[in-house]
Amino acid sequence: MTRSLVHNFSGQTAVVLHRSPEIGQRIKDRCDRLGVNAIPCTLHPDSDVLRGADIVILDIDTGDDGLLPWPRAEAMMPLIGLIGSESPGRLGWALAQSVDAFIPVSALGNLFSAMVIAHEVFARKLERRARDAELARRASGRLDVIRAVLELMKGGRDEALALKQLRTMAMVEQISLEEAAARLLSHKQSAGGRAT
Amino acid sequence: MTLRLGLVFSTTGSYAALGQSALAGALAAIDSLSQGDARPITPVIADPGGDMAAYERMTRDMLQGGVRHIVGAITSWSRKEMIPLLERHGGLLWYPCPYEGFESNDHVVYLGASPNHHVVPATDWLAAHGLRRAFLLGSNYVWGWETLRLARQCLTERGVEVVGERHVPLGAATPAHILDEIRARQADCVIDSLIGPSNTSFLQGIAARSRHDRAPVQVVSFNQSEADLAEIGPAADGLLSAGSFFEANASDMLRDAARRNAPNGRVSSFFATSFAAVEMIAAAVRSVGTDDPSTVFRAAVETPVVTAMGAMPIDPVLRHAMLTPRLAMALNGRFDVVQSAAAPVAADPYMTSQAARYSSAKPVPKPKLRIVK
Repeated sequence: MTRSLVHNFSGQTAVVLHRSPEIGQRIKDRCDRLGVNAIPCTLHPDSDVLRGADIVILDIDTGDDGLLPWPRAEAMMPLIGLIGSESPGRLGWALAQSVDAFIPVSALGNLFSAMVIAHEVFARKLERRARDAELARRASGRLDVIRAVLELMKGGRDEALALKQLRTMAMVEQISLEEAAARLLSHKQSAGGRAT
Repeated sequence: MTLRLGLVFSTTGSYAALGQSALAGALAAIDSLSQGDARPITPVIADPGGDMAAYERMTRDMLQGGVRHIVGAITSWSRKEMIPLLERHGGLLWYPCPYEGFESNDHVVYLGASPNHHVVPATDWLAAHGLRRAFLLGSNYVWGWETLRLARQCLTERGVEVVGERHVPLGAATPAHILDEIRARQADCVIDSLIGPSNTSFLQGIAARSRHDRAPVQVVSFNQSEADLAEIGPAADGLLSAGSFFEANASDMLRDAARRNAPNGRVSSFFATSFAAVEMIAAAVRSVGTDDPSTVFRAAVETPVVTAMGAMPIDPVLRHAMLTPRLAMALNGRFDVVQSAAAPVAADPYMTSQAARYSSAKPVPKPKLRIVK
């Protein structure tokens, strides 16, 4: 997929999780400049508000899996981690949460950079997730490919020719080999066991 | 007590003409204000000569010496060199030049045009005038890179094809092979983000070739001003420049100030904006009685003055001035304003309003393929 770098966040909503209202306000001021509507939260954030955010900016010093309404590392939006104390354990937690970009609390003026990086890293993560799911789905279709090849061999073709024929079907239909195999098998079933 | 005002402009080096124009504008304003009842201003002048290391050194010396307000930095490169020092020492830079946007630093006031004041109207104009094949040409630093990136985006969205892109080192002449390439790619327009000698040599080169070519190429600049228009000579004729202020917009007072102060006697956007910057600083310092940068900034925002450029209120959040986008065509060493917004327009340094019109995050449609036997 061709994707251009996102550097326009106008109209997005950011939830800011930080214990300090002053830091929350400073982040809100930076977000205003980018056209982003920031919602600072100092206590337990509302799950629905979090799920509805386009981006979450969170304090990694006080972050906790229990605060976030998703399984660890499975956030459905980009995450920006605010680095405060730099303690290794907290950095470890943030990395385990798969935080997409980091920004020191002392450098909030560079929030734009963190936004661009977080969106790009998150988009790559989504692509990787989709690719992994597709590979898993295809792997589960291997048996169908073998069955389809065996079915096509019944017409007297050898296995190489049968596989080539299945490939051609997949190419013509613009579907994967596994999908072509599944389609052929279901067609064969509905056609009363007669391979075409 | 006098206000010590830093003026950091390269009045020597590869873009000296722009620095000279801007410095002259600031000094003209100081001179003009000295005749009124404003707090006297003592200029503290530094000439980094276009050398980035000198910007850092001279700015540090100035800030450590107690200067808290600086008007200066022509290039974005030099502004970005100065920002860490301004942050460390609590100084405030009043930046009087057009720039490429994507910045909003708490130690800078942006008084020059942003991309929505120059790139957007210029690319609108090109598309409306039926130009379809653009070549992008810029100086090899952040101004060239970013204005051309934005130009590419705006042109593509408006159906203008980008047929090539080249960058020339700052201070170098534009090589002839780039002119060959523009012709070979059959470009009908060039986005020119060159500065200094690269720009002069390019415009003179392309004008010399245009005499033999059947179809002349429309050149568009986002920063060409009267500061160095005369240096280019007749080769500049027909150049379209997008900016916030041209000599044609200047009052008699400003023209007279330029005649007396600017080395070339001309009003440019650099001259006028530096003049306006000093007016704003002087008025704000007078109203609050201190030169504390954040107090002065707040006063400049809350009680705006009508400057020599007219009203140019500053946005308290984005820290950018509202400006009137204008397009002007060069002819015989002058700019004729061919298009002007009716009123000042707020700066949009992050191009957030472009999102509503054009989305860069649109999914790319899957191509329809078929087997060809």
